[in-house]
Amino acid sequence: MEASAIKVRLKDVLVSILDHDNFELHDELTAKDVDGWDSLSHMMIITKIEEGFDIKFKLRDLNKLKNLGSLVSVIQAKI
Amino acid sequence: MIFNIQKSIENNMANNAFCFNHVHYTYKEFAQVISDVRSELRNSLNEKEKTIGLITNDDVYTYASIIALWLEGKAYVPIHPDFPKERNEMVIEQAEIMTILDSSKELTNIGNGQVVSTLDLEKTTIDLTPVEISDNDLAYIFFTSGTTGTPKGVPISFKNLASFIDAFEDLNYVITNDDKCLQMFELTFDLSVISYLVPILNGACVYTIPKEEIKYSYIFELMEDYELTFALMVPSILHYLRPYFDEIDCPKMRYSLFCGEALPLDVTDEWSKCVPNATIANVYGPTECTIFCTEYTYNRIGENKTHNGVLAIGKDMSHTRTIVVDENNNEVNQGEEGELCLSGGQLTNGYWKNEAKNKEAFFDKVLDNDIIRFYRTGDLCSVDEDGDILYLGRVDFQAKIQGFRVELSEIEHHTKAELNKINVVARAFINNIHNTEIGLILETAEFDTKPLIEVLKTKLPHYMIPTQIKFVKNFPLNTNGKIDRKKLKELFE
Repeated sequence: MEASAIKVRLKDVLVSILDHDNFELHDELTAKDVDGWDSLSHMMIITKIEEGFDIKFKLRDLNKLKNLGSLVSVIQAKI
Repeated sequence: MIFNIQKSIENNMANNAFCFNHVHYTYKEFAQVISDVRSELRNSLNEKEKTIGLITNDDVYTYASIIALWLEGKAYVPIHPDFPKERNEMVIEQAEIMTILDSSKELTNIGNGQVVSTLDLEKTTIDLTPVEISDNDLAYIFFTSGTTGTPKGVPISFKNLASFIDAFEDLNYVITNDDKCLQMFELTFDLSVISYLVPILNGACVYTIPKEEIKYSYIFELMEDYELTFALMVPSILHYLRPYFDEIDCPKMRYSLFCGEALPLDVTDEWSKCVPNATIANVYGPTECTIFCTEYTYNRIGENKTHNGVLAIGKDMSHTRTIVVDENNNEVNQGEEGELCLSGGQLTNGYWKNEAKNKEAFFDKVLDNDIIRFYRTGDLCSVDEDGDILYLGRVDFQAKIQGFRVELSEIEHHTKAELNKINVVARAFINNIHNTEIGLILETAEFDTKPLIEVLKTKLPHYMIPTQIKFVKNFPLNTNGKIDRKKLKELFE
């Protein structure tokens, strides 16, 4: 899947969990930049991504998710 | 105890003391930074200053500052750089802090006193010999959530801390200079103290978690990549890790301790397979009684004691005496429920300059012809025929969020102050991954709560910010005509 297509779907996931769209999707975006993206919502976002893309992250994958760009590449490698 | 810190550091100079973000520091390097900070303290502190603020960064300078302060007989008061400025300033004012130590590149501007940088100080000769310290001198003051919107200070003396260390040693955990120990706690949380102090007293290495990392997955990597051998965690970490338990195999882990929240037996059973060789223990205690003061060792092969699926908190450690009492401070019979009360060498002398709170929380009781001072924990407990304490719940409106104590009324206080005349209830509830969240219920028609949350973020630390908000036209009342808080909680379940 194209990175841009993945991003569109990721945006939907974020909006559905965080209840707002006050963020710009770019590769350097980190959880810190987004209101409400803390360790609790992170867990929910991860689960929602797993369901939406029908993939399963390994615990080790989670530490590689430094920003949106790396999240997209980890998803690409899994589907 | 302070002499033991000196001895341990001097005996382990070549060993690793800390690992921050994959960078190791030896005890020699640690000793150098301690001495440099100490020399700076001697230049910049007034002799009479006893309580010193410390910005809690995740670096060698911050930990060295703690030891340097102790060697000088001073107490540290942790100040979290990410907590609201207003709250930090309340702490600074209450603790009468004149000096704040800070290792940040850009120094903090809170408070009216001086800010002393601990970064890149001039190198001095290593000197770890402590000054003369009396038992009642304070080692630290930690501020916890208070019911009326003002945090309350818990002062812990060197005697309290030495009592804890002595009682911890009596548990007979074998920790040597080969051990690798997890330190997952913010330095504003007193479980951090055992997590750095026990390793330092044994020449072992402390592994911390960088602030920007997601804690639970980072802990797993530390456990696996560095083969950690000792880890004290809050149970909420287990709930986060649970979906991944089949990926975790850490045979090197020797001690896996849990504290700060209820520890469910089923998760512990599953976890025991991830750390097949570890002694697993549930420890318990409020900040007032220095870190923790009861211990229950999980039994891998036999039955475990539980209440509602939650592991027992076990027996008092060697310097603590516990009793369970009714409303009139009379001890209840074995097996009956009551409020758990604590006394002994680990118990604080009382809240920092807060006589009203002290009268509420402490009382004297004659036992075996001695007058003993007890602290009311607010925890509902019972004791079984073997003397093991079972945790049943809270007697008041306190909640634990990832181990942090939260007075729900403090959240209500700040919400009410913001929303004119609107009725408010804050409730803690268990979410679908079994962690505790805070829900806020407002007796009003729906409105946009973003501005409210923004204001709360300037008053309260992040873990106290409600994660869910519900609106109710009229609060349900119970048969006594009081707001039915139980029913309101059901809105989140």
